[in-house]
Amino acid sequence: MRKLCLVTASIFTILSVVFAFLPLGTLGILPVVVALLFGFLALQKSDAAQAKFVKILLLISSVCLLAIVGKELLIKDVLAKDAQFEKTKIENKKEDKKELEALEQDLE
Amino acid sequence: MKKILLVFSILLLFSSFSSENATTIKSGEKLVFAGSYNMSGLMTQLAQITMTTETVTTAKNTYLHLNCEAATYSKWDKFFKIRDLYESYVNPITLQPSLYKRSIDEGGYTKKEKYVFKGSQVNSTMKRKNKPETQRTFKVGASTQDVVSILYKVRTVDFSKFKIGQTKAFTIVFDEKEIPVIVKFMGNETVSAGNLGKKECHKISIGAKTDALRGKDKNLIWLTADSKKIPALIKFSIPVGTGQLTLTSASGI
Repeated sequence: MRKLCLVTASIFTILSVVFAFLPLGTLGILPVVVALLFGFLALQKSDAAQAKFVKILLLISSVCLLAIVGKELLIKDVLAKDAQFEKTKIENKKEDKKELEALEQDLE
Repeated sequence: MKKILLVFSILLLFSSFSSENATTIKSGEKLVFAGSYNMSGLMTQLAQITMTTETVTTAKNTYLHLNCEAATYSKWDKFFKIRDLYESYVNPITLQPSLYKRSIDEGGYTKKEKYVFKGSQVNSTMKRKNKPETQRTFKVGASTQDVVSILYKVRTVDFSKFKIGQTKAFTIVFDEKEIPVIVKFMGNETVSAGNLGKKECHKISIGAKTDALRGKDKNLIWLTADSKKIPALIKFSIPVGTGQLTLTSASGI
């Protein structure tokens, strides 16, 4: 049982680190929660000598949690400047005006 | 994401109550929403949806250009970039559409649609990525709206006269076919409306005969209970999950 918890906690700790670096927002909390949950379970089933590695996993997961929450609170969602999209919009407007004038002629 | 946008359109578009004048729709209005999707129980902000109105004049007519665009936030662009444009040119008074255009780019998948309204006839043109352009002509009802103009149409309705549970049937045209929609007034609630603060809103449920929407009374839109009828909050439920659009700023209203 301890081994299962330890393996699960290890896998999700690695995922937590990856998710913390990726711009996945609050989605990154999911592996952290699982890592912490199984980390604490593993810690309960570990003796003093075995607990060191588990504590490291818990520490890494906690840091990831702080990083994810911090990013969510401090970094604002922004739109990238997309020159191509802006160009498309301007071209669309010109096309649309011609289209409307053609429609007006058809309806006469 | 595509379905989210479709549902967003549907929600905005379909909550249509007609037969009212368009006195509340002004040119120069800009509404900005944050679009979130429920990922494994966590609401994650993915995109910004911007709705604007603008007067467009040709040699013979004046139109109100209703523009709705969706763009993923920069942090998501590397994973799944979305740049969608939904546009409608309508009569500024009746809000009846003359031209509807949809141009989507979702993770590399592109599609362009154009509907030209000629009375009860619509000439449509569609171009999907790597596929030849197709053209069709089909009939629509006299009051059929496109998915953009319907939102603005609904905003001209006085919901204060509706009783809780009162429903009304509507029709919109989407993907070259007419879709019937049932809208139900569900009462008033106070919700946050971005820079407008907390506002009392009309809560409206939308039911459409389409696979895109799921559940009874799970697709909801809150419109401010004043003369502006600004969409403050939209919640949707689709086969692949749930999400919401929250108003972040409203200007020019």
